Parts: sequence; structure tokens; C-alpha cells
Amino acid sequence: MFNEVIRLKWFGPSIVIFLVLFILPSFIPRFYTYILALIYVTSLLAMSLNLVVGHGGMFQFHHGVFYGVGAYTVALMLTKTSLPMWTGFIAGPIVAAIIGFIIGWFCVRLTRLYFGMLQISLGSLIWAIVLRWYSFTGGDDGIHGVPIAPFLSSLNSSYYFILIVLVICLIVMYLILKSPFGNTLQAIRDNPQRCEAIGINVRRHQLIAIVIATFFGGLAGVLFVVLERSVFTDMLFWVLSLEIFIMCLLGGWFTFVGPIFGAAIIVALRTFVSIFTEYWTLILGVILILIIFFLPEGVMGYFQEIFKPRTKETVKEGTK
Amino acid sequence: MDFSAFSSQFLVGLSRAMILFVVCAGLSFVLGVLRVPNIAHGSLYMIGAFATFTLSKLIGGSAGFWIALILAPLLVALISLIAERALFCHLYQREHLMLLLFTFALMLIIGDLVKIVWGAEYRSVSAPPLLKGTVSLFGASLPRYNLFLIIIGPLVAIALWLFTNKTKIGKISRAAAVDREMVGVLGINVSWVFAVAFVIGCYLAGVGGALITPTVSITLGMDHSLIIEAFLIVIIGGLGNMWGALVGSLIFGVTQSLGVLIWPQFTIVFPYVAVVVVLLLRPKGLLKAVW
Amino acid sequence: MLQVETVVKSFDDFKAVNGASLSVGKGEIVAVIGPNGAGKTTLFNVITGLLRRDSGKIIFKGEDIGGLPPYEICKKGIARSFQIVNIFPRLTVFRNVQVAVLSQQRRSNTLFRPASSMVLNETNNILESVGFLDKAHSIAGSLSHGDQKILEIAIALGNEPELLILDEPTAGMSPEETSATMELVKRLAQMRGLTILFCEHDMDIVFSVAQSIMVMHQGRTLVQGKPEEVRNNPFVQEAYLGVE
Repeated sequence: MFNEVIRLKWFGPSIVIFLVLFILPSFIPRFYTYILALIYVTSLLAMSLNLVVGHGGMFQFHHGVFYGVGAYTVALMLTKTSLPMWTGFIAGPIVAAIIGFIIGWFCVRLTRLYFGMLQISLGSLIWAIVLRWYSFTGGDDGIHGVPIAPFLSSLNSSYYFILIVLVICLIVMYLILKSPFGNTLQAIRDNPQRCEAIGINVRRHQLIAIVIATFFGGLAGVLFVVLERSVFTDMLFWVLSLEIFIMCLLGGWFTFVGPIFGAAIIVALRTFVSIFTEYWTLILGVILILIIFFLPEGVMGYFQEIFKPRTKETVKEGTK
Repeated sequence: MDFSAFSSQFLVGLSRAMILFVVCAGLSFVLGVLRVPNIAHGSLYMIGAFATFTLSKLIGGSAGFWIALILAPLLVALISLIAERALFCHLYQREHLMLLLFTFALMLIIGDLVKIVWGAEYRSVSAPPLLKGTVSLFGASLPRYNLFLIIIGPLVAIALWLFTNKTKIGKISRAAAVDREMVGVLGINVSWVFAVAFVIGCYLAGVGGALITPTVSITLGMDHSLIIEAFLIVIIGGLGNMWGALVGSLIFGVTQSLGVLIWPQFTIVFPYVAVVVVLLLRPKGLLKAVW
Repeated sequence: MLQVETVVKSFDDFKAVNGASLSVGKGEIVAVIGPNGAGKTTLFNVITGLLRRDSGKIIFKGEDIGGLPPYEICKKGIARSFQIVNIFPRLTVFRNVQVAVLSQQRRSNTLFRPASSMVLNETNNILESVGFLDKAHSIAGSLSHGDQKILEIAIALGNEPELLILDEPTAGMSPEETSATMELVKRLAQMRGLTILFCEHDMDIVFSVAQSIMVMHQGRTLVQGKPEEVRNNPFVQEAYLGVE
């Protein structure tokens, strides 16, 4: 099954990019290494969201919850119990996937926008519980100083760990999208009614996709803890969720790697802008309006349209 | 749990439900006509609350609150009209997600603008002298202001009903909710119908924001908590259905305030449980959605 | 093979289907005719589960399938095409059909095998039988209307149905395309041993292709019988063919 990956025409360039990223920390300041690692974590989060949004056509508006749940699970396990670190790393994504299953079970009964509205609401319940349950989650303060094993404690080692996990996840996600499951998911995105008529249990299929996406979302949360050793309630706040949504949109949500670009742009911009002003959400709002009016297919979609005029008709179909 | 505590909580819940109803009726109205859940609805509600604070302080005296109650929602309506005509109306031909994301962008921008204008401090407005003090009802003492809210809610419902059923523009917008092609065929400018519906919906958000000021402290973040509640109410009530918004608000408001008696730290859980129960029994909401 | 007995389906107060009955024998080609708004499409939607019947029975191979969701009905062996083109516009022609074949083989949930190496023969067979091999890698949304209608049928074939329901397979086609499409349908029926239920506006086609014809009027079945019986039926002549 890995032949599929190796045969790709961009397999060579990807290896080069990977190697460059791998040796980069030796040459750049610590701060940039940290920002790069943060971009990787956010990329994984955006990619996981795009599985259901771009490829599944579902309006997963509160994906941040699963990121937060993954992070809180591992942080709580490492601070409150003496279980080994790797059990937390496994539990994070699994708990996120379980919550994803429960919320998704309600959401897939509704269509499109109502799916999104209900998810914002149910996700916010999780956020509110984490916020109010002070004795367990630390409420507003979050959890700090999560003990991470010494071999991951330096910035460079966590950088490498995050990069490797990201690459593995990208390969797995790519395989999923190219599998019959992924193809069927894209067919559901294009035309759910027709899928029912050809014998596909659309709701079940969508639910499985949500569980997979929330699993990866939880994993991104774990990576965040590895990088930051802290968790905050803001991770579960829906503004973050919509920020991730914007990343997918900005990068190009019908493309595979688009969300990575979206994540890189938004994270870099946020870091840069925060130096000058505290009104980041204002700027984010303006960016979003600009995307809506000028870049509906995202950055990657835009380049695809320029470089491949023969598929223009396909792209048009997408904007309808 | 004694009876007077119960009935007093029930009445408080009822009055809170009335504010939720005013706000959700606006959300539901926009949803029915434009078919877009307006995420910025909560932000407009927040502007309504802050504007009421500033206006009532500026005007001062016992009349200050009443004048603010009228002016603040109009200010909100004006803001929404500008946003609609300047930007939003150019998106009607696009897919729904873009409209939705636009309202989200509006929420982000308004959130920070409010922070710039009013700052992050907590503000409060006191009820006008006429509505201060408490009344005794069913063996419970209820603040007069809450009684006022319980009366105002049905009045708004009747006004909205009269508007959608008796006025021409109301009838057109109702028809647009059901079949927008037909309205276009009739030679009516659909874009203006949408604009009117959007502004009326936002006006109601402003009314809700103005009404709530004496009962809570006005602060940043009140937009988020409200919009999430409003979404749930509209979903359980039936999308775009005004009476559904009323039923949903009652369920939500009452379960929330009764929850205080049972488990104060996690009152928020109770309305959610109610919502989950409703959705398990009737996934499409209690009353018929308009579409 | 398929027995529809006095099915009723109403929307609010309007009875779109009001006591329709239909019988389709194995290997038959059956047509449903009737004026616009007679409830033909609604009847097909009820049979394939897109709409739930209010009352009546729908029996397929001795089993009542009324009330099952569409995907279950499809798995029982009924596939359909739609009147208004209903395909996957962003996917290639090949993948349009492949999705159906994968679903038929219960492999839609396979996670870690590339789809590009699966069910190639089955998919290509179908594409060949409708003459689409050369278009396999075009994007479905870019095909002409006539080709999209044929792709509709090809997707339905992907489910290897026993009963194929075609809702106005030639709607919007030119006369040449129409006759070519009907030839194709006849050939497919023979090649694959399909039973076909279709509705169609063009009476010449209906009377030349169908072995049995059901006439619907205002949601009700007027009559079902052989073409010549239907042609000579006084009710039908009065209500539908417009003969005094």
C-alpha cells in the first residue's frame, strides 16, 4: 500500500523538503524553530479538519474541541496519574475520537449548516465544562508544567518528534483519502442523495470520517502539549475552531496540502501581528472577508487554476 | 427544595426566556428568509447592551434608560444596515458557506471593535426607578424588572406576528422564506427583501441586548455565550419558525434557572440535556421548520 | 418481481400519489406514463426509499421494502437514475461509476488500500457497455447533458441491479440522442438480464420499447397492461391520449 505514496510525482521534492526541515533547527534561532513546530502542530490540526470539511463536505465548525480534549487528556493523565507518558499519548487521540463520535452521532442527523450550528453548541458544552470544573481541569488557569520525558524535553527534540509524527499522519491521511473510503467520502460531499441511492449509508460513513478526523485532531492536541507543556481553555474555544476553518479555506480546501499552507500563513501572521497589536481577531476578520471576496478557492486552489487551465471547468463547478 | 424557591427560580427562568425569545426570534427570522445562521447576531446583541449602557449614562435621569432602550436597538439596526448594503448583499449569489463565514468575520471584527470602544471592564445599568424593587407572586418574590420582561416577551411575539402576517413587507419576506424564486418572479427586488429581513433580525438582537442590561453585567464575551444558546434554541424549536423560537427559549430558560437549584456549578448542563432529549425524540426540532 | 399496491404519498394536503399500483415481472420492460404532475417521479422516489410512503405496500422479491432507507433498498437490488442529472460533478467519469461498484461490493469502508487499484475490471466493463471508455478520465461535470444522462445509467449499473428504474432517461435529449439511448437501454437489458421500469414522455418510444405500460393520472393508476390494451382502453383515451 505504500507503493501508492512512492509512485507520486511529488515524492522526490517532498523528501527534499522534509530533509531541509529536518536539518533546519541547527541553523535558525530557537524562536523560529518554535514557530515552525507550532506550524506543524497547527497543520496537523487543519489537515484533520479538512478531512471532513474539504473532502467530506461537512461543516465541522467546532473542531478545536477535539484538539483541546486531546491536549487536556494527556495533560491530566501526566499530571494527575503516574502512568507512563506514552499511554497519555495514545489516550489523547482516543478520547478525542470518542467525544467526536458522541457529538458526531447527533450532528450527522442534520444537514449542512444545522450540522455546523449544532456542533458549535455541543462543542461549547465541553468547553464550558472544562472551564467550570475548576478542581479537575484548573478552569481558566489551564494546566502548566506537564511533565514530559527527558528525551523530549528540549525544544529541538520536540521539534523532531512533532515533525516525524506530522509526516506519518500526512501519509496515513493521504492513504485514507485515496482508499475506497476516501473516494466514497468525496462522492458524498458532491452528492449525498445520489450516494444513498447507490447503496451507501451516508450517515454512518460521515460518522466514521468524523471519528477519524477527531482522532487526528486529538493527536494534534497531544503534540501541542509536547511543544508547550501547558494547556488552556482557549484551545476548546470556538474562535480557534473557526480560525482552523479559515486555514482550510485560505489554503484551498479541495486540495490535499492546502491546509498546511493555510496554517503556516495564519500562524506566521498571528505571531507577527501580535508584536504590534492585541487586536488579532479584528485582523483575522478582515482577512476572512478578503478571502471570501477574492480567494474563494484558497491559495492552492488559486494556483491550481492558474497552472492548469484545462481543469478550469472543474474548479468552476466547485464555486457554485 | 421549598416551593417558593422553586417558583421564584421558575419566574426568573421565564423572564430570561423572554429575552432569549426576542433575540432568537430575530435570528430565526433571518435564518428563515436568508437561510443563513447569523453568527454575528450575538455581537449585535452585545453592541445593543453596551450602547444602552452609554446612552442611559449620557442622558441620565430616570428617563435615560427608557430612551436608551429605544435608541440602542436602532443604532444596532443602523450598523447592520451598513454592513449589509456595503458588503453582505454582494454575496447573495454565492454559496451559503460564504454568507455564513461573512457573518463570522463580522463577529470577529465587532468583538474587537467593542473592546476598542468600551474596553474590557464590566459595566452595569440599573433598572429605572419604576421597575426597581420586587413584587410577590405565587409566594415568591420577583424583581419588578423581571415581571416587566415577562410582559414584554408576548408583546414582541404579537408585534412580530402582526408584522409577518399583516404587513406587505412581512408577507413578502415570509413568502421568500418558502419560495424565493417565486418572489423574484413577482418582480420584487429580492435583495431588498433580504436587507429588510436582515436588519429587522439584527434590530431584535439589539432589543434583546438593551433589555438584558439591568439583569446582568455587561462584558466582552457575552456575544459568544448568547449565540451558542440561540443556535440551540433555534435548532430545537424548528429552523426559521418563530413560535419554535418561543418554545425553545422557554425550554432553555426554564431548565437553566431550575438547574441552579439542583447543581449550581454546572447549571449550563441542564439546558443541554433538554436539547439532547428533544433532538433524540425529534431530530428536526419541535415545530415545523419553514424549509 | 416488484409489486406496488395502492401506495399513497401526500405532501401536506396534496396527494401526489394516491393509490398507485404496479406490477413488474422478472425480465420485463415496464413503462409508467401520465401527464406532468401525475406523480410518476414521486412514485419512483417512494419505491426507491427517497420518500416514505404513507400507506400501501411495496413488495420486492416477496419482501416488503416500504419504509427502508434508500441505501438498504439499493442493496436489495434496485438501482435508479434520476430525471434531473444527479451525478458527482467534481469526480472523473471513472470514479463516478467506481464509487457505485465499490458500494455494491461492500468495500466502501476499506481504509488502507488504494482505490485506484480496485474493481478496475468491473468499472471498465460498465464504461465499455455504455461506450464511455474514452471518456473515463474526463471530469463528470464537464460532459454534455446527453452524456451526463448516460453516466446516470452507468452509475446505476455499478450496483449490479436486478431492477433498474429510469426516471425519464432521455429528458432534455435531442431526437437522435433519444433513440440511441433507448437502443442502449434495450441492449443493456438483454446483455445483463435486467428488469427495467421507466417513465418517459415520448409515446412512440414507450409503445415501441415497453412490454407493459402503467398509466397514471392525478396520482392514481388508471390501468396497467400490454401496449395495445392500453392504447385501446377507453379510460386512457379519454383521460390521457385526449381522444373524444
